[in-house]
Amino acid sequence: MKPARILILFSLACGMAGLLACGTIYFLINKKHTWIPEKLVELARQPDLLENPTAKRCGECHEAIFKAWEKSRHARAWISETYIKDSENRSKEKCLPCHIPRAVKAGSKPEPRLTQRDEGVFCIPCHMADGKMNGPYALYSPPHPTRQNDAYRKAVFCGSCHEKTYKEWQAAGHESTCQKCHMPRAEGRLVQNPVLKYFHAPKEVADHGFPHGAVGAGEIGLSVDIKPDRVRVVLLNDTVPHHVPTADNGDPRLYLTVEQFDTAGEKLDRVREILAPQQETALMYKKEVAFTYPVERGARRVSVRLEYKPAWSTEKTEVHNKSFTVDF
Amino acid sequence: MKTACRVLSAVVLMILAFIPNVAGAKDFVVKPPPASLDKFYPPQSKEPKWVQQMHKLSGSFGGVFVNMREGDWENAEKLAGQFVEAYKETSEMVPEWEEYFDLDAAKNFAETVKTRDGEKIGKAAGPVGKTCGKCHGDHEVSVWAKYHWPSFHEVKVIDPMDDKEVGFDKYMGSLSGAFKGVTVNFKEGQNDRAHKAARTFKTKYTELKSTCSKCHTTGDVQRFYVGEPVMAALSGLVDELGKDKPDPGTVWKNVGIVGKEGCKHCHLVHRPASFIKERWEEK
Repeated sequence: MKPARILILFSLACGMAGLLACGTIYFLINKKHTWIPEKLVELARQPDLLENPTAKRCGECHEAIFKAWEKSRHARAWISETYIKDSENRSKEKCLPCHIPRAVKAGSKPEPRLTQRDEGVFCIPCHMADGKMNGPYALYSPPHPTRQNDAYRKAVFCGSCHEKTYKEWQAAGHESTCQKCHMPRAEGRLVQNPVLKYFHAPKEVADHGFPHGAVGAGEIGLSVDIKPDRVRVVLLNDTVPHHVPTADNGDPRLYLTVEQFDTAGEKLDRVREILAPQQETALMYKKEVAFTYPVERGARRVSVRLEYKPAWSTEKTEVHNKSFTVDF
Repeated sequence: MKTACRVLSAVVLMILAFIPNVAGAKDFVVKPPPASLDKFYPPQSKEPKWVQQMHKLSGSFGGVFVNMREGDWENAEKLAGQFVEAYKETSEMVPEWEEYFDLDAAKNFAETVKTRDGEKIGKAAGPVGKTCGKCHGDHEVSVWAKYHWPSFHEVKVIDPMDDKEVGFDKYMGSLSGAFKGVTVNFKEGQNDRAHKAARTFKTKYTELKSTCSKCHTTGDVQRFYVGEPVMAALSGLVDELGKDKPDPGTVWKNVGIVGKEGCKHCHLVHRPASFIKERWEEK
């Protein structure tokens, strides 16, 4: 046999063996990880992952999740300027459990932690319990032990900190959960490590950027009815199954401003309504809220503006801006 | 003789009239506590260590008598020993107040407890109790005012009418102005103006729910001062003034509820300490 032929056959055999090995590993990890000998598992473990690693350390494998989290409000829970100001330089004890939780467990308020405070609400408080990384999937991960827990798909998990919002959601009686809107899932991989990623089957991965829901004209209905003697403005939170805005201790707001002008454009009246959780005036799910104002003498135009300001910003975004002619 | 009796009676009456004042008269000056106390209260200290120390003293001193009454002399002696330790510790915490403490009297008290003679213990407790009473009499109000009440002038409010951040004092001034706008205009028959002022007042008043919630972390307080009856009265006031012919009875009833159940309750609790602090800060 010619040496070249031997080399080709040998390469093919090696390739086949490699593919078989990868296939076996893939099969074992994803389907039959209990067959893997414990001794072999121990060799693959990275013990520092169970000793409160930083989010960045987790991000060495879970890169996409880390990058999404890094931009989230959870990542800014301890370093947000608004939080620092409103908590009088972080001195208010009531804020600590949820801004720097030690371990989040469904149904109970966490204790505050003493270390890694700058990371706010990061991987470890939510995912590490009893020396294992907990999550919604039953899967095998060589670097650290894992445990599947259904609580990660339930609103009660988020409710351990977002207590008021959780109660509002319960009262709304809507089937959707916090995770469905604020951790939307998309096909992807849990890890992005160039080698390890191929050992796990693609899954639906939750967005750890915890996107804030939209507050726009599609979410908040506005209707205005003008009669000769009065203006009636009705607001309706038609789609969001909790109050809008909502917060346990933050101060997000909707501002409703109704102004009346005469023919020359001179302002005759201006009234402001604040819809905010801390004032117990936020819009409940599917419940109309009406405001009635008398029409000023000489009024020819009425403008109705609804703006939204999140808790962490002073910037407002426009939800509705409408103008009506008074013509009777 | 009659005249002499009248003069004597008048003098006696005058003396009697002055006795309570003379006996009870006491100049009470509320001075700011010494700066050395700062380190035992937030923000310098994580916990209010001074008041915790007071609880330590009070718990051990009072505990001696609780145990005495129960005939538990072993624990009475133990607590008397703890009291002396805490008393000494406290005397070293604020140098400016060192003179208030009488360590010999405290030690004598603890030694007397060992005699298990109630009468002797009561006598030995007297001088120690007096040292506590003297210091409390001189400083308790000022310590409470400085450390246990927040400084309102540091509280900022975003005025909901124009989104400008203003100091709490200024905000309360504008709130009071809106309230007067309601009552003054209504008295004058200017119902439209009264109605607009009532709307502004309601928005500004409700804003305090947000402001107060920053310190009042439980809903109970908010419900009490800015709770349902006050909110209902505010809405009732606005609605009534918006009518063609507002009913004065309804208007004044709601004004009364807001004033008495809302403003006054809050002011009764917070204004005394605030007055003291304002005086301290006057230059």
